[in-house]
Amino acid sequence: MLCSWVRNISKIQKTTKCYQIGEQLRYLRTPNRVHSEVIVPAAEKITRHEKSTENRLTEQNQNQRDVAFDFGSREAHVPTFNLAAHVNNSNTLQQLLSLGVDLHSIERRKGLGQFVLRLDFEQNVKPYLTFLADNGVSPDDFGQMITKNPLLFKEDLDDLQTRVTYLKSKRFSNEALQRIFTKNPYWLMFSTRRVDRRLGYFQKEFHLSGHDLRLLATKEPRLITYKMEHLRKSVFTLREEMGFSAKELQSLIVRKPRLMMIPPDELVERFSYVHNDMGISHAQIIQCPELLASREFRLRERHEFLKLLGRAQYDCQKDLYISPSEIVQGNNFYFVRNVAKSDLQTFDLFLKTR
Amino acid sequence: MALTKVYDAATVFKHLNGIINVYKPAGIKVKHVRNAILSNICKGLNELEQREPRRLPKSRLLLGTGTAADTVLHKIAKDTDLSDHILAAGPRYMPDDIRCAAVASLGRHTSGVLLLGLNNGLKQSSLIQRNRPVRVYHVTARMGTATENHLPDSHVTVRANNRHVTAERISGLASSMQASHQRKMYELCGVDLQTQAAYELACKGLLRPADNSQPVVYGIKLIHFERPHFTLELHTINESEQYMAALVHDMAIELRTVAHCSQLRCIRHAHFDVTDSLLRHGWHLPGIVRNMRQQRDVLEAHPQLLEQQRVDLHAAPQ
Repeated sequence: MLCSWVRNISKIQKTTKCYQIGEQLRYLRTPNRVHSEVIVPAAEKITRHEKSTENRLTEQNQNQRDVAFDFGSREAHVPTFNLAAHVNNSNTLQQLLSLGVDLHSIERRKGLGQFVLRLDFEQNVKPYLTFLADNGVSPDDFGQMITKNPLLFKEDLDDLQTRVTYLKSKRFSNEALQRIFTKNPYWLMFSTRRVDRRLGYFQKEFHLSGHDLRLLATKEPRLITYKMEHLRKSVFTLREEMGFSAKELQSLIVRKPRLMMIPPDELVERFSYVHNDMGISHAQIIQCPELLASREFRLRERHEFLKLLGRAQYDCQKDLYISPSEIVQGNNFYFVRNVAKSDLQTFDLFLKTR
Repeated sequence: MALTKVYDAATVFKHLNGIINVYKPAGIKVKHVRNAILSNICKGLNELEQREPRRLPKSRLLLGTGTAADTVLHKIAKDTDLSDHILAAGPRYMPDDIRCAAVASLGRHTSGVLLLGLNNGLKQSSLIQRNRPVRVYHVTARMGTATENHLPDSHVTVRANNRHVTAERISGLASSMQASHQRKMYELCGVDLQTQAAYELACKGLLRPADNSQPVVYGIKLIHFERPHFTLELHTINESEQYMAALVHDMAIELRTVAHCSQLRCIRHAHFDVTDSLLRHGWHLPGIVRNMRQQRDVLEAHPQLLEQQRVDLHAAPQ
């Protein structure tokens, strides 16, 4: 049995990419090992590990009776596939767990598992947490932030302080900073120069005032650190393909910054449905940018249902006006009862005819 | 049987076996419907009460320093296996944990009844599939323009006048096509329509194809006509979206005009009707479980769906 087990492990090591965590684990285990009697001859294990498979197999065969099943030592040289295998032995991981960090989603991203395993809570993590707490981030959000961006611990604390000071010098309020750091943990990874360039881009592109720019950055902090290529495409789509003027674009962007993060192709589809099929003008779209933030099938279902009932009337000069922002509000039940003034059975029947 | 409220994820998962009847919207693939349903099920399950993390085995080696500040000792005192914690091991239910397969697939442009087997319901779903039940479609055609693949979102290739087409002409053509399809079935079986053998074959019930390669049409009927649109009701087995679109195209050519399919809707699959299929806003765990119960009633009412005496339709040896 032990033989086959060893063979399987050697197979796994050959075929799959696994964490070589022996070293870190030994490092983690050293404080424990100092006073303990049950020391595992780690060096010997490792040398055996490096020998060829056949050698190891014969050796294991001989030693099979001598070595009792020692699960404590087994962990030292068996490759592991996730962080959960180390949680019981690592103080850092336990602390992170109690903060609410989702280790499972960290380890799925390349290299992050190894990075987190090397951290030491007192030295690498604690100073950053106190830094964040000093900047107004609530401890409840730590877990979520670290889950999203554990690489924050790689940054220099002085750099982080500089970045915060920069934002403060740009007259971001403390509440704004708190929101920015919580909503977008990647923001602090960007150097001051880079953030400045990004903010400058938005200010120049849309001729924003300082207040509007701060509003934009606070409303959707992810926008500032978004892919530049994507942002350029979105701006092109909004300006050239949809034909919003500079003034319109400015208010649209400040009201709904998320529009810039939607894939441009999808955005154009939505716009063409709203503008051409529903007949809603640019000015009305500016009034309720939520229309463009809603998925197309949702708009289509609701508009066609209203049309069927004869209530699709979006001109505020006439009777029975339905505000476009109401169409995209709430769930289907809310829509059917309060906007379409119908019942859910009718809506279901309607949906089943298409 | 009395229904009880369940708050425990494991109980729900244990009973998550069966067939669900989903209303597939047009414009998305079956794969996406399946993914959406599975992820919604998992989301629902993970919001319910979860299993507590495991206990550690009692006979663990004490590797700690033995002082009061030692975390190893604290942990042993608590005795929970942290590696089994949800945050460390990941959510308890993931889409991969649920087995799921469609009884028969629908094309991207088709909307309507889609049967999905979940977990142990896979057995039932494959039995239903092996019985090759009839599917009923409402196919809406738009006369006047032909498109490249006969479906609405490709390039328009031909335009033609359609003033001379009337409902009578369409239904006449439909019934003649139905007759020729039925004759073809008997020819494929290798019997002449005017013989005793053909009569006996017909007595045994519907002729069904033996494998799922050849499409068979059992009925074509005109149910709605409003120029330039007309709607056909098709009863078919083994059909595909492309096949039905091509059928509509050929019909239009017979009618001296051109047409393409503007809408394809599956309204019935065996006894599973569109009326109790689950719409997109009902794709959550309670809705899916309720739907599964309804479909189980349908299966109990019609046991022949799973076990059936039937006549196989083989292509006759040439």
